[in-house]
Amino acid sequence: MERLAGGLGTSLLALFTSAGLTVVAVASLAGVGLLLLPFMLSLVRLVAERERGRLNRWQYQVISPYADTRPTGWAARLRAAASDPATWRDLRWLASHASLGLLLGLAGVVLPIIAVRDASFPLWWWLLPIEEAGASLGFPVRTWPAVLAVSLMGISWAAILIGLGPAMARLQALPGVRLLRPHPSADLSQRIAQLTVTRASALQAHAAELRRIERALHDGTQNRIIGVAVLLGVARDAVVRDPASAEAALERAQSAAEQALGELRTVIRGILPPVLEERGLAGALTSLAADCLVPCEVTVTELGHLPVAVETTAYFIAAEALTNTARHSRATTAAVSVNRVGDLLSVHVRDDGIGGAAVSAGSGLTGIRRRVEAHDGTITLTSPIGGPTVLEVELPCAS
Amino acid sequence: MRIVIAEDDALLREGLTLLLTARGFDLVAAVPTPEEFLAAVAEHRPDIAVVDVRMPPTFTDEGIRAAVQARRLHPPLAVLVLSAYVEQSFAADLLADGVGGIGYLLKERVGRLQEFLDALHRVVAGGTAIDPEVVAQLFTHQRAIDVMRPLSPREREVLALMAEGLGNTAIAERLFVTDKAVHKHIRNIFLKFDLHPTDQTDRRVAAVLRYLDSRTPSRS
Repeated sequence: MERLAGGLGTSLLALFTSAGLTVVAVASLAGVGLLLLPFMLSLVRLVAERERGRLNRWQYQVISPYADTRPTGWAARLRAAASDPATWRDLRWLASHASLGLLLGLAGVVLPIIAVRDASFPLWWWLLPIEEAGASLGFPVRTWPAVLAVSLMGISWAAILIGLGPAMARLQALPGVRLLRPHPSADLSQRIAQLTVTRASALQAHAAELRRIERALHDGTQNRIIGVAVLLGVARDAVVRDPASAEAALERAQSAAEQALGELRTVIRGILPPVLEERGLAGALTSLAADCLVPCEVTVTELGHLPVAVETTAYFIAAEALTNTARHSRATTAAVSVNRVGDLLSVHVRDDGIGGAAVSAGSGLTGIRRRVEAHDGTITLTSPIGGPTVLEVELPCAS
Repeated sequence: MRIVIAEDDALLREGLTLLLTARGFDLVAAVPTPEEFLAAVAEHRPDIAVVDVRMPPTFTDEGIRAAVQARRLHPPLAVLVLSAYVEQSFAADLLADGVGGIGYLLKERVGRLQEFLDALHRVVAGGTAIDPEVVAQLFTHQRAIDVMRPLSPREREVLALMAEGLGNTAIAERLFVTDKAVHKHIRNIFLKFDLHPTDQTDRRVAAVLRYLDSRTPSRS
């Protein structure tokens, strides 16, 4: 019933959109509607995406068929939409969901109401003026046997709802499940294209990681250790020639060795944080939050066993996001929550700062996106000017 | 001996400064960037420049390029390049003019003070000082093997030590042979590499260059 009611919501949206679309289509015949067409198609897409989200919540696994990038400009957008089979499939779904989906959704909401009304009819029918008493179906009821019959009808409404409800919900979802998924053939080729892109960005992320580690080792640790070697040479020379000055050189060499160790630790932490291995994701996030300059609350539900790569990625995402929060957002509170639903790990990081964050701004968010894409995950950033900023990441985590 | 140092790492710059001044060298400037290095060379006209390979802004080969430029602008400036890792093409870049006075050492050799100071003196005197590690890696390269083919194993050993910058006596000591034997080997190497005595280039450098170059096929 909850599903049917949810379906009613999107089907009402579908109905309004269809109505709007019809108006625009008619207006297009006259020319003026053409200007509104891309906007309407975006609206269709928005409604379809909403339904995809709803279906995914009910475990139907409907992947969005759209590419991430959209052309800009009126003509280009229209051309791209017209040539994308997903647009036409969305429109077919829109029509069926606005009609069949709407009816089923209404049934799902009205049936329980009339079931309760009719079943309880004997309790309150006598309160009604005699000429207004009647069953839900509208026929008048005057006598006790008829009243009991109405009550039986109510019970049968409930039985119908319980018996047919799940089937109705499935029927309501069916057009969406069939039409909102990428076309089977498009699905595969698109999937390949998508995998190619994510693999490329995985390699790129990998190379960037290696470069970062190499640079850190070279500029930090290696130079410090070379410094140790050189200072030891100086000290040895001093022992022979001027023993008093050897102490100073040795002191310097020692502190350089300590610095080298410190930097080595930082590099290691950047590769695979030891805290993650010692305390698991929840513990690592808690200590991350404790170190964060902005007060931060961490919620982690039972995650079960996770692949190390997913755990590490989730950790780095949270770390990077909280660094951004502390640096740019001027937030007073932040929250990190990690949940697992089936084979999907979701990481949410939110702050109450000034907003205005963007993935394209070349910030740490680009790094987050690369890491997420490498795992074939999705990333959504909501950060209106004035805040709040919400980063939502979903990572497949089949283990 | 007047020295200019170009090294971006503060600790190492300080270490070098300590070491060289303690030994009574005339350290005229120690700077962290290629630009300051070129300015210091122009101003002080040192006998030798000690240059780090990786320097700002990109931390790739700025030091090498600055060193090559400084040598072109102010001959016969001797240059000793310090590097954190082995990259033979850098050594070949430096030796490309066929004139001596070039050194290429791994940074940690600086800690072996006597060897480092020997290298400094050798380079200032117009010789070469190529790190044994660089030389060792060269022998593993296919083109180097091809170039070395005419040489006997003993001659290859002699060439490797020559590349490090050792003189005849030092080579003889290293290989436990007489000076005369080393002299003979070197003559054979020059012969097999077809190197004749000329005024322009040092034949020892030319022989070393021949095999440094063999590693980098595209270089002319």
